[in-house]
Amino acid sequence: MEILIYGAVTSAIYALLAVGFTLIFGVARILNLAHGSFYALGAYGTYVLTSIVGLPLWSAALIAIAFVAVFGIVVEKVLIRPLRHSQLGVLMISLAVALVVEQTLFLVFGSEYRNVPSFVDTKINLGGVDVAGQRLLTLAVAAVAIGALYIFIQFTRLGSAILAISQDPEAAKYMGIPSDKIFSVVMAISAALAALAGVMAGPFLSVQPSMHLLPIVKAFAIVVVGGLGSIPGSIAAAFLLGYAETCVAYLISSSWTEIVSVLATLLMLVFRPAGIFGKRAAF
Amino acid sequence: MLYSTNFRSLRRLATASALVGAFLGLISPQVLAQAANTKPIRIGVPTSVQLQVGRDTLTAIKMAVDDINKKGGVLGRKFEFVAADETENPETGISAIKKLTADEKVDLLIGGYTSGVTLAQLPHISAAKTIYLGVGAASPSITAKVKQDYDNYKYIFRVGPINAAHQARNLVDYISNFVIGELGYKNIAIVGENAKWVQDLVPVLAKGAKDVGADVKLTELFDTQTSDFSPLLAKVKSSGAQYMIVVLSHASSDVFAKQWHDAQVPVPYGGIDVKSMDGDFYSRIGGKSISEVAANFAVRAPLTKKTVPFFDEFKKNSANSPVYTAFFAYDSVYIYAEAVRRAGSFDTDKIIKELEKTKFEGVAGEISFDEMHDVQAGKGKLSLIFAQWQDKGERVVIYPKELRTGNFILPPWMKK
Repeated sequence: MEILIYGAVTSAIYALLAVGFTLIFGVARILNLAHGSFYALGAYGTYVLTSIVGLPLWSAALIAIAFVAVFGIVVEKVLIRPLRHSQLGVLMISLAVALVVEQTLFLVFGSEYRNVPSFVDTKINLGGVDVAGQRLLTLAVAAVAIGALYIFIQFTRLGSAILAISQDPEAAKYMGIPSDKIFSVVMAISAALAALAGVMAGPFLSVQPSMHLLPIVKAFAIVVVGGLGSIPGSIAAAFLLGYAETCVAYLISSSWTEIVSVLATLLMLVFRPAGIFGKRAAF
Repeated sequence: MLYSTNFRSLRRLATASALVGAFLGLISPQVLAQAANTKPIRIGVPTSVQLQVGRDTLTAIKMAVDDINKKGGVLGRKFEFVAADETENPETGISAIKKLTADEKVDLLIGGYTSGVTLAQLPHISAAKTIYLGVGAASPSITAKVKQDYDNYKYIFRVGPINAAHQARNLVDYISNFVIGELGYKNIAIVGENAKWVQDLVPVLAKGAKDVGADVKLTELFDTQTSDFSPLLAKVKSSGAQYMIVVLSHASSDVFAKQWHDAQVPVPYGGIDVKSMDGDFYSRIGGKSISEVAANFAVRAPLTKKTVPFFDEFKKNSANSPVYTAFFAYDSVYIYAEAVRRAGSFDTDKIIKELEKTKFEGVAGEISFDEMHDVQAGKGKLSLIFAQWQDKGERVVIYPKELRTGNFILPPWMKK
């Protein structure tokens, strides 16, 4: 029972992180190493707006997410677009963005840890297991966000356009789909999802300048396991990894959990480079 | 720094006039010797300037230097200091020592934080024949060198903190006298992060706890990258432990406390938690460390007659409460000044002989050195002070008993 619940919460955060990462790769072939920075900026944005500006948490969270989405668009338009023709160039520029964001946070806020307030402070008992309210809320928010994304892609015009580009960018172009505009939209969604994860996880994970590393490592592992560019694949992989880590922590030892994701990435790359749901090898 | 700036311009003037004088062949050797006697004593501060431990080291040294200079300095010479960033990387640490000793030509060194860095610096400090007063690193190997090779390493002293072996002993005392003796909790769990010093310490701790009558229900180390402690905390809860002893030093402290609080784990915890020594720990995690007991070297309580004034003075110079390096850095300047005064000279060997005789009432307790130049631990000397986070982020000393400033509280969700 404990494994079931804790595993679900961990998986939900991973899924929220990985979906945005895989979306921008699947659609625009951008391997965005600055994805973790969006997560960090979401958490820091909420911190600044609540602790310094004094806004209520809900509005602070929404403003922070909107800000990160705009930041994502700017990064895509100004920095990534000119280098789109080269995968390596994109990789380098997004890494540069990640480092610049980290150093900026470091200079502005110092190396100290910051506090993002929780939305809920109560403890909830589920089938005899104590779970922090904030975690359950995170699980619910992640489910809603991913569900909304799915509906958006499947049932709206813009969503169809995104899907079309991800399936065949050239054909989509000939059909008159403005790919640059679509990339901006996708980047905004991807950044907003990462920021949302930062806002939700900030209260129970750490908020400090190098916090972008954790999500990028996890998202990378999940996406490799699930298949780069496949959204159902990343969700499945997020759950696989989330549960695998929880099981290992329970049944073996907490000192072994972190190796799980690294090992999964390695095995997947060796035996099935396309991932579980991937159609083609990513690299 | 009014004093040193004035002095620097004075010195520049003196150098300029000396040059002119020498050129004219009018200067006498006596005048030159006198100029050397009044030049400031330069303190080199190798530390991690980007971390709070480093920033607080510098703030504390500045406080001590300003105070001594105001009173006229030592043997007619004033103090000034210069910092070098040693980061947490041994290579950079060595460059910092070289910069301070070779380029800045400092008279003594006060600093240090990471044991690995300090150990790498030792040969370079001894080669430069410069006195080093350590204020941050806790590895026993640092001062062990003094015993192995006195002639080369006699320059090394540790003013604080007490070394890791003493810390482990203090923690066992806490378990035996307080957790078992006063709270009556025999069933304990030991949880630590998987770092080298914790791997060394935990078996010693588990054995010590068993020897004093504790029933260790669970011993678990977790990876330093761990972000989700729910499974671990659930295990502690189901193990039947009544108290959780922690050994944490890095990033995990904040997350650990937050998740422990949010899941309202019905097991109080305490132990060595380096990040929980920070004055802002309580506020930066939104008060979620309530009831955690963290070992400290000093908190704002009348440990010695210097403790409270130091904390108050520090508040005027910094936005945060001081961390442990600040206490020892502050004391170090005075300890050196007193040794020089007693020696009546600036001869390094004479100063070392006087430093060895140190018996100094510092911010955190009495400071004296053993034959390894390591600060002595024990009653009336330095020891760990177990302070509990209580309402509004107040730290209340609960152990040792003779220093107690308040009563132990349970986590809010365990109160009946």
